[in-house]
Amino acid sequence: MTNSPFSIPLVHNAIDIMTPFLLAGIGGLFTELAGMLNIALEGLILTGAFFSIVFAAATGNLFLGILLGLLCAMALAYMFGAITLYMRANVFITGLATNLFASGFTIVLAYHLFKTKGVIQFPGIPKLPALVVPPLLQRIPVVGDILFGHNVIIYVTWAIVLLSALVIYRTPFGLRLRGTGLNAKTIVSLGLNPRRYQLAGILISGLTCGLAGAMLSVELAAFVPEISSGRGWIALVAIYLGNKTPWGIFVASFVFGMAESISNYAQGSIRVPVEFILALPYVFTVVAMILYSIFRYVRSSRG
Amino acid sequence: MNERRKFGEVLTGLTGLTLTLLLSFCLVIGLIFILSRTPLRTIYFFFVGAFTNRYYLGNMLNVAVPLVFTGLGISIAFKASVFNLGGEGQIYAGGLAATAVCLAMPAANGFLGGLSALAGAAVLSGAIAGVSGFFRMKWNTDEMISSFLLSSAVVLAANYFITGPLGDPKNNLLATLAVGPQYGLARIFPPSKLNISAFFAMAAALMVFFFMYKSRAGYEMRMCGLNREFSRYGGINVSKYLVLPMIMSGALHGLGGGLMVLGTYGATIEGYSFGMGWNGIAVALIAKNNPLGLIPAAFLFAYLDAGAKAAMLNSDVTFEIAAIAQSFIFYFVTAQALYGFARKRRRA
Repeated sequence: MTNSPFSIPLVHNAIDIMTPFLLAGIGGLFTELAGMLNIALEGLILTGAFFSIVFAAATGNLFLGILLGLLCAMALAYMFGAITLYMRANVFITGLATNLFASGFTIVLAYHLFKTKGVIQFPGIPKLPALVVPPLLQRIPVVGDILFGHNVIIYVTWAIVLLSALVIYRTPFGLRLRGTGLNAKTIVSLGLNPRRYQLAGILISGLTCGLAGAMLSVELAAFVPEISSGRGWIALVAIYLGNKTPWGIFVASFVFGMAESISNYAQGSIRVPVEFILALPYVFTVVAMILYSIFRYVRSSRG
Repeated sequence: MNERRKFGEVLTGLTGLTLTLLLSFCLVIGLIFILSRTPLRTIYFFFVGAFTNRYYLGNMLNVAVPLVFTGLGISIAFKASVFNLGGEGQIYAGGLAATAVCLAMPAANGFLGGLSALAGAAVLSGAIAGVSGFFRMKWNTDEMISSFLLSSAVVLAANYFITGPLGDPKNNLLATLAVGPQYGLARIFPPSKLNISAFFAMAAALMVFFFMYKSRAGYEMRMCGLNREFSRYGGINVSKYLVLPMIMSGALHGLGGGLMVLGTYGATIEGYSFGMGWNGIAVALIAKNNPLGLIPAAFLFAYLDAGAKAAMLNSDVTFEIAAIAQSFIFYFVTAQALYGFARKRRRA
């Protein structure tokens, strides 16, 4: 956060808010392209959030804690994927199961370890390192707000977006992953196992969702039950709105981030019941979705 | 031959389900051994607690009632291949609508007033879901995503009404004013909260069953669900069956919420129905979208819920263990591998 007179906190905050959506969305993109509807994003975020902060507190090392948290989220993702793929279960219901399991398990474990079902604070957790630049750079209008002063996870996220675009469109793995989603039989005919690509997609979603969760709990230095609060679902929406491309998801997440940033800002200044303001991001999205489908409809009926 | 095959399918299904339950229960028992300091006591209350007295038993049955309604709502939509992911908001709004109607007519006759309250619940929730169906029909907007988003917004808006305009400042819970006593549904199993809405649930399941399998509209709807293009060539009004199942689905959710308010709570309490929408999806999938199969599936769910409550009150685990137990069942209930195993066993 900067105190520069030129800063636009709206945009700066939006970039902070959008990051969990973006991370979960990119992870979900891999499963989506492999032809699986991944509604478990929500539970994976929650798992990452819980274990990252608990391990960070237990080991006293932020980096190690987040790493272990990511592994836990990936372990849950593996369970989800293995049951879905190898026991041939319905992916929608195992996704629901994963969300239910994550929400139950984090609370049961929190109660077992900390004897509370409420907010667990970890005041000793170090802050995430942020990119601090000379004030001159920070003061560049708009660009300064967008580029500088964020915590390290945000920059890692940008790298992940770039990397996943490369992996999806420029590597054999990405081609086969997309092939699995388009027509699994083709992959079989090449002598490859489509399930392997689907499982890889699920594991990647576990990794990125875990990081999204870690960012939520570490920034807050606390674990709040249901801290994911629907972000996994919004990420799923971002995948569809973003037309199943990394850049599209980036833009869609930014729209969500802006909507939430504006509603946070509005809470302080406009006399509207807070519930309506909290509902704004959902309303924005649904309107955007409808407009987009009208646009597509009109275009396709003309062509 | 056909009869025998059908019987065989049912048998396989039941064996698979038994395997699912056994596996899930073993996992839950394992978890209890890890978490509880008095595991045997916890296990006893978890599995048997719901049957130890009339209060627990009746409340367990009462929990199953709204699940039958949400499960029916989901099944109808699934059968038509439209997806209603907004159950959470629809059931919540249904309870609020019923409350609002009752509060608007404090002196009305209990029977007629109650009926109009339920009608209000069905209309509001049906409209909320119908909007998603309408956009799907008109511009091909994905109804699954839009119903989910609308539902999330509806939950927040409903919270505003519960704590704001309709709120009861004297109540410690965040809740609306209580509806008049004449609206309360008759309790049938005192001292528990089980009430006549249980009969409504059974009637609703039967009605949906007859609609789906014995009526023309139900047939056309299922045809559209199986193959929309084929149905179009067959002369069925396909766009109608994008909107109608959504409206019916929403209305059933709304009824579930309305009955919860009239039968159990007597007011809309913040968050009173949270989870019922998601669990409705699970129940519908467990029952394979068969309206009559929903009743046992809802019982199974309610049983785990009641067991966890009994274990929480009488032992040292938290209620959320129910969510874990339910998630185990979700994981395995559609697992074809388990059913394949059952099938092989039967042939051998």
